[in-house]
Order: sequence, then C-alpha cells, then structure tokens
Amino acid sequence: MSILANKDTRVVIQGGQAGVNAARRMAEFCYLIKRPLNVEAFVYPPDAGKTNEIPYGSGLIAIPVYKTIAEATKHHATINTSLVYIGADRAMKGGMEALDDPHIKVVSMITEGVPEKDAKLLGAHARKLGKVFNGPSSIGIISAGSCRLGVIGGAFDNLVLSKLYREGSFGVITKSGGLSNEIIWICSQFADGITTAIGIGGDAYPGTDYVSYLEMFENDPQTKAVVIVGEMGGDLEERAAEWYGAKKRRIKLIGVVSGFCQESLPKGMKFGHAGAKEGMKGEGSARSKSEALKKAGALVPPTFGALGPAIKETYQELLKSGQVKEPVEPAVLPRLPKSIEEAMKADEVMVAPLIRTTISDDRGDEPCYDGYPASELINKGYEIPHVIGLLWDKRLISKQEAEIIKRIMMLSADHGPCVSGAYATILAACAGIGLSQSVAAGMIMIGPRFGGAVTDAGRWFKHAVDNKMNVDEFLAYMKKNVGPVPGIGHRVKSLRNPDKRVKELVGYVKSLSIKTPCLDFALEVEKVTAAKKDNLILNVDGTMAAVLVDIGFPIDSLNGFFILSRTIGLIGHWVDQKRQDSRLIRLFDYLVNYAAPKRREVPPLK
Amino acid sequence: MAKVLEGPGMGLMKKWGIAVPQYVVVTSADELAKLGQANEWMKKSKLVAKAHEALGSRFKLGLVKVGLDVNEAVAATKEMIGRQVGSITVTQVIVSEMIPHKEEYYCAVKSTREGSEILVANCGGIEVESNWDRVKRLTLDVGQQPTSEALEKLAKDAGFSGSLTKKMADFAGKMFTCFDNEDAQYLEVNPVVVRESDGELVALDAVTLLDGDAKFRHPDWNFQFAAEFGRAYSKDEMDVMAVDSKIKGSVKFIEIPGGDTAMLPAGGGASVYYSDAVVARGGKLANYAEYSGDPPDWAVEVLTEKICSLPHIKNIIVGGAIANFTDVKKTFGGIINGFRKAKSDGKLKSVKIWVRRGGPREKEGLDAMRALRDEGFDIHVFDRNTPLTDIVDKALQK
Repeated sequence: MSILANKDTRVVIQGGQAGVNAARRMAEFCYLIKRPLNVEAFVYPPDAGKTNEIPYGSGLIAIPVYKTIAEATKHHATINTSLVYIGADRAMKGGMEALDDPHIKVVSMITEGVPEKDAKLLGAHARKLGKVFNGPSSIGIISAGSCRLGVIGGAFDNLVLSKLYREGSFGVITKSGGLSNEIIWICSQFADGITTAIGIGGDAYPGTDYVSYLEMFENDPQTKAVVIVGEMGGDLEERAAEWYGAKKRRIKLIGVVSGFCQESLPKGMKFGHAGAKEGMKGEGSARSKSEALKKAGALVPPTFGALGPAIKETYQELLKSGQVKEPVEPAVLPRLPKSIEEAMKADEVMVAPLIRTTISDDRGDEPCYDGYPASELINKGYEIPHVIGLLWDKRLISKQEAEIIKRIMMLSADHGPCVSGAYATILAACAGIGLSQSVAAGMIMIGPRFGGAVTDAGRWFKHAVDNKMNVDEFLAYMKKNVGPVPGIGHRVKSLRNPDKRVKELVGYVKSLSIKTPCLDFALEVEKVTAAKKDNLILNVDGTMAAVLVDIGFPIDSLNGFFILSRTIGLIGHWVDQKRQDSRLIRLFDYLVNYAAPKRREVPPLK
Repeated sequence: MAKVLEGPGMGLMKKWGIAVPQYVVVTSADELAKLGQANEWMKKSKLVAKAHEALGSRFKLGLVKVGLDVNEAVAATKEMIGRQVGSITVTQVIVSEMIPHKEEYYCAVKSTREGSEILVANCGGIEVESNWDRVKRLTLDVGQQPTSEALEKLAKDAGFSGSLTKKMADFAGKMFTCFDNEDAQYLEVNPVVVRESDGELVALDAVTLLDGDAKFRHPDWNFQFAAEFGRAYSKDEMDVMAVDSKIKGSVKFIEIPGGDTAMLPAGGGASVYYSDAVVARGGKLANYAEYSGDPPDWAVEVLTEKICSLPHIKNIIVGGAIANFTDVKKTFGGIINGFRKAKSDGKLKSVKIWVRRGGPREKEGLDAMRALRDEGFDIHVFDRNTPLTDIVDKALQK
C-alpha cells in the first residue's frame, strides 16, 4: 500500500509547459509500472480546447486542456488530485480553485516563491475542508509501484536504479526536493526501498507538516519505518517528535536534521531553505530538533553520512522480526524506448538524412558559412559580399571581387517606383499587405522582361566565349536558336542617352588588372547591335552578368544578385508607403481602354 | 525574508496610520543642511542621528547620536558617512525628531505557522529582553482579524490601564493591519512611547521583515532589501544575486571570511548537510553556496569563478545529491569552464577538488569532470555509490 498517491490516483495538472514536462515524467513512471497514464487533464486557460501530447512508451497520448478545474472534473469524473504548476502570483487562486472542487482530495503545489500568507491561507482552507494541501515548493510525491506525482524520482534510469517499480517498506518525508532522490536511493540500497516519498516543500510554513503524514504512514500497514529529513528553523521536527513520543507507535522513525554548521558560523548568518530560520533562544536549531527526536525514541544518526547504515540497521531488525521479507525483483522490466536523438547519440541507429546541405551549419553557438564562423568573419573585416561568396559559390572571394559585388549591389538597389517590381510592391503596400508579401509581390515581377535577364545573359555570353565564337557567329546562333540576346537593349536608354550605371561598372572593372573575356565579348556584341539600332546597347543585366561570370560565379546564382540588391529597394518602397499612410490605389478610368462590348441585354437562361 | 531598513520600515507603518517621528534619510551632510533649512521641525525639536545600515549594536559603535540641534546633526552625519565597520561602509544616515517621553512599551507582530501573533508588553527598550514573561500574546489564524475587544484584553493582560489600554489596543491593531497588508513576516516597535505633547503613542524604531516573495503585489516597495546577517553584501555576493534574479533555477553565494573549505554543492537541502559535514569534521567553511532547479551553465560558471576566487582555500566540495531534473552534464559544463578560467588566471594552485553527484546525464557529467585530471587539476570524482557527504570526510582527512 501507500499513502496520498496510489493506483487509483487520477490527476489534473494546472499549468503550462512545466506541467507538461511533469506529465511526461509521470508517463515514464506509468510505463515502467505498466499502468495507464494517470494524468487525465490539464487546466491552462491560454491553451483551453487544445491537447498536450504526452509520450507513453513509443506512443503518444493526447491529454485535453481545459479552462477551469470544474470543466476538467466534469469531463473526467475520476480526477481526485491536482498538481499546481502555475506562477507564484496566480498560484493561490489556482490552488483554491482546486481545493474547492468536490472531486479533488489532494492538491500538491510545485510552484516556488509563493507568498507565505497565500500558502497559509491554502493550508488553512484545506484543513477546513478535510483535504490535503501539499507544498508549495514541493518536488512531488511518489508511491513505489503505483503512482508518481511530479518529477520526484528523477530520470527513468534513476527510477529503475532506486527500485521504484516495486514497493518497499520505508516512508520518506523531506523538505528538500534535491535530497528526496538521495533518500529514496539510500532506502533502495540499504533496505528494500520505499512505500511513499513526499516532498513537503522547503518554505517556512508548508501547507502540511510531518505529523499529518506520519499519521497516514502509521495507518499504512506496508510502511514499517519512516525517514524524515529535517532542517533548522520552524518546529515541524519538534512536532513530529512530540507525536512519536506521545504513545507507542507501530512505525519506526529515523530522522536527520541539517543546520549544525549554524553553530560555528558568524552570528545571524543563515542559509538553506526559507524555512531554515533560526529560532529564538535555541528553539528550532538543528541540535534541539535532533535532541527532541532522539528523546521521543527516534533513531537519529549523528551525520547525514550515517543515515544509510541507520536505515540498514532498521531494515535488518525488520527482517529478523519477520515484519518484512526479502523483496522479489521482477525478472524483466520495461525499457523506455530511446528517442531517435538518444539512439543516434549512442551510435545505435543510422538515419538516412532527408536533405543535404554543403554551405551552412547552425548547430554550434553561431552559424558557420562554408565552415567559417560568422563572428570571426565580422571581426576579421569581411563584409556582406564575402558572405555571398561563401553561400553562393562556396569560396572566400578576394577583396577586389568583393568590391565589384558591392558596386553591383549599390547600382542595382533601386531603379525608382515605375519599374514593375517596385510598382507591384507599392500597389500591395497601398492595399494594406504586409512587408514580406508586398516585397514578394514585387519579386515575382522579376522575369524575362524585368531584371531577370542576368542569368540568361551570363549563360549565352559564356557560351560564346567558351565556344570561341565571333560576334557574327554568336548573333546568328542566337537568332536561330534562342531569340533576342539577353542583356542587350534598353527601353529608355540608348547610344545618345547612355546608361551611367553601365559606364561606371565597366569603367571600374576595366581599371582592374583582371581578365574579363565575357565583358569584352559583350562590349563587342554591343558595338554591332547598337550600330543596327541605337537602343540595342548593353544594359545593366548584361553588364552584371558578364562581370560576374568573369569573376567565376555560377550561372544559376546570377539572378540572385539582382533579387538581393533589388530587395533593398522594394523594402524601401514598402516602408515609404507605410510612412505616408498611403491609401488604396484604384486605376483611373482614363488609363484604361474599355474595349469590351457595349452594354446589352442578358438573354434568358436556357 | 527580506529585511527593510528603518526609514522605509517607518514609511510603511506611517502608511497604515501608526504615528512615527518626523524623519529624513540622507546620504551627505550637505543634503541634511539643506533639509534643515527647509523643515521647521528640524529647527524646533532635538534630533537623533543614526547610521542607516543593516548593522547591529550601532549605539556601541557610536553610530547613534541623540539630543542634537541641526548643526550638531549635520556634524554627526559628516562624521558617520563613509565610516567603515567591517565590510560595511556607512552611506546613509537617518535623522529624526527626538520625542520626549517617560514611558516605553513594546509591540510586535510575527508570523506563525497557523497565522500570526500580536505581542505587547508594558515595558520597552532593553527591558523587554530581560522581562520576556511580561510580553503577552494574541494568537490569530491566517485570514482572521483581531477584534477591538481582543486587542483591549491583550493590552489589559499586559498591564495597561485607563486610557492607555485603548491607545495600546489601537496601536497594536494598526501594527497588525500594516503586517497583514504589507505581507510582513515580522514587525517590531521597541520602544513604543507616549508623546508628552499630546499623549499619543509613537513608534520610535521599526524592525521590518517583509516576505520578498510577495513583492509582485507591492509596487510601492521601491526600497532595496538589506542583508540579514549584520553586514552588507560583498560585490561578489551581489554579482551572484544579479545572476540569480535573471535565470530559471537558482544560484546562491555567501562568503564566510577566514575559511579554507570552499563549497559548491547543488540543492538548498543538500548544501546545508554538506556544510554540516565540513563543520563536523573540524573544517572551516569559506562560503555557503548552492545551485538548483537546472540553472543555465553560464550561471553556474559565474558562481564557480566566485568560489575559485575565495582566498586561502584548500579544498572545493562539488557535492550534490541525485538530481531530479537538473542536467548534471550541463551544470558541470559551467563548473568546468569556471575551473579552467580560474586555473588560467593562476588560481586553484594546490587546491583539491572533490566531486560527488547523480542525476540526469550523470555519467557524461562525471566523466567530463574526471577528464580534468588530464589538464592538471587535482580532482577526485565519485558517483552515487559513494554516500553523499563522504567526499567531505575524504577531503578533510588529516
């Protein structure tokens, strides 16, 4: 048997992520002892109506989330226990709600930092209703072989090591969540393990005291001895001693109290839990508590280190007197399935990757571009063109190449509101569309007729150079197989009205001592085409393309330069329209040639 | 528990209708001189100047001066500000009007397990300590308010008579109201005096301990809490507190001068048992520390660096029980980084490190600690099979 938590315990968890984590731990225990999950519902208003998925073995169980305790117990009439994981400022309200529900008999509050007055009010309210309010700051309650409430007991491996899958003979009550597992472990190593272990919380005035649980343990025939782990401050241990000494008790009591170090510390210095406050005139000190327990007949080892042997001694006596029998260990225990991540870490499985990347790795403390940490690139003076080089061409480009790219970006960042990309973005912005969608609207204008000729221009100039064509051969080839030469021709610029951007870029690149076969070829082509018609000049797309091919960028990346630089402009246009609070655009009637048929009568439907 | 200095403590009492002397808190003599010109009461009445710091026995230290006029108070302030007492530098002085009186009484409200207790005595000052049996109590359950009949009975039981009975009952009632509304854990006025000018009861002093956990519902708590152990916090302690306030989980650190055994244990419960074990083996603690609730590794690293910087340490105890959910590998990662930094700063020479821990990823964590041996650390690592505090026994073996 056990106290407080048993195989009939059905739980509602009040709270969000922390509560879900607890439910996962509880599910691990349920799986270990081969019982269904004991968490029936969550109460967490922001997520009401959703479900939380709790892994159980290799499956997933969906647990519903409700807005109120009343809704939860209405849908799950077996719920009798609540675990409170909500924040300290709302914990009292949540705890009261649970206590006031007639279905719920036990409320265990895990929340830390609950104001003392709130905790006292909760404790008093529970006593009035004849219910149990455990905590606050409780690590949980665990009954070996039957029920776990909260994360007490720790990880799955620890549950197994501490033999929590089957019942022992020792009850445990601790104020310290951190020590609960230690005591459970000691009980399983020096004796046959525990019945129930309770974390009552380290606050000054927890909702329940040792005595209420000692009474329950006294009435639980399976529990033969109880270990209490106390600390200086308050009077919980004195009350336990008083209870134990008041009459002959069936259970044996073993106790340790911390805080002896206080005696040799500078006056007034105290630490540990909030509850570990120095009492007046020696009351509440570790020494007086230990003495009180000893006097009442409890076994009080002199140090924590001697606790294990004291438990062993008690267990041997219990064995000798026939009160307990050596436990029988189960032949096979369920094993918690490993997650893929764990199994991979242990080199137990190989998973075929879904995608492959060769440029970027963000798994460390910062992203690496083609192996170079981003911060190191920054700190060593590299700039955005180098990042483009690494991510688009997997190489660390030179300072000179970076300068060319920088100039290309600056020259093509924006070409005014009238080009189709900017116009589309402005139109979308005026219609109230968000930034990313508006920019995307402008971006999809990039195609064969607007800004999308960079890749194709690069491709065909390169084709000509690679195949050692002369200009005439090239123009003939294009006419026959492709069509107009991409990168040649402009809507508004011409020989008489040249494009300054092209002149600027060509002038800069030619001033460098680098080989530019594509650019040279493109300029040759321009000479021939412009002689035929004076607007068939080399345009920005063609110039960018030729230069970028010359410095080695892959053909398929070339349009990217236009997309990237023009994005700067498109964002600018969107922000500009927002700033002006621009109104919805409607095309003026006079800009439309209504070439549709004149108004006429609709014929009857046949 | 959060201790509040006299000035803000009196402010809270005043808020709930308790008569307190006029007072100002100043940080310089010039400031007081200016206030002295602006405030009539400072010119009219005799003044008391006290160092406004969390210090015990200020009288003996000469940090309380009575019966002053404004000029004398300015001189006293000049003398007190900047004075060094142990680790505390006096930075503030509270100057209040002297209340001429003959009788001194005592009143306090304290938190108890079931609710609270109102304590009243018809003696005050140091007399209370030696006449504790004259202190009478009214016990209240949480949520319960004292009736005026019960308060008057309390005053009568304590020996008050005539019109003073009602006055004391009222005073105690206001103390309770302040206690209850301000989420106090302890309020004490000693002495309560009868003001000769009008016969009213006035609080001459205020000991105020508030529930720091309730801060969220008291936006007007705009004062800093003071250290409770009779000295100011050190810079390292404040650094760790600043980290603690920022993280999930907790890191705690208190220095104890003169010790040689440094503590770096996990958990608020286990850390005290570790400290007990050190004392039981005749060791001298150099600090108290604790981390728990799965804090981020960088926070544990900060704590570790502070601990490695403690002077004259011979051993560091990295103790801990079997954690419920604190990731041993991750928190040990922080400790290891801290150790490495300390070592490269030339610390940890001839310091032995003792480790014992269990919990999630214990094997990985302990292995990483063990590997520090190869880097030249004098480190001894034990797992859950070594009883909790045995590493202290091993460390302090002569």
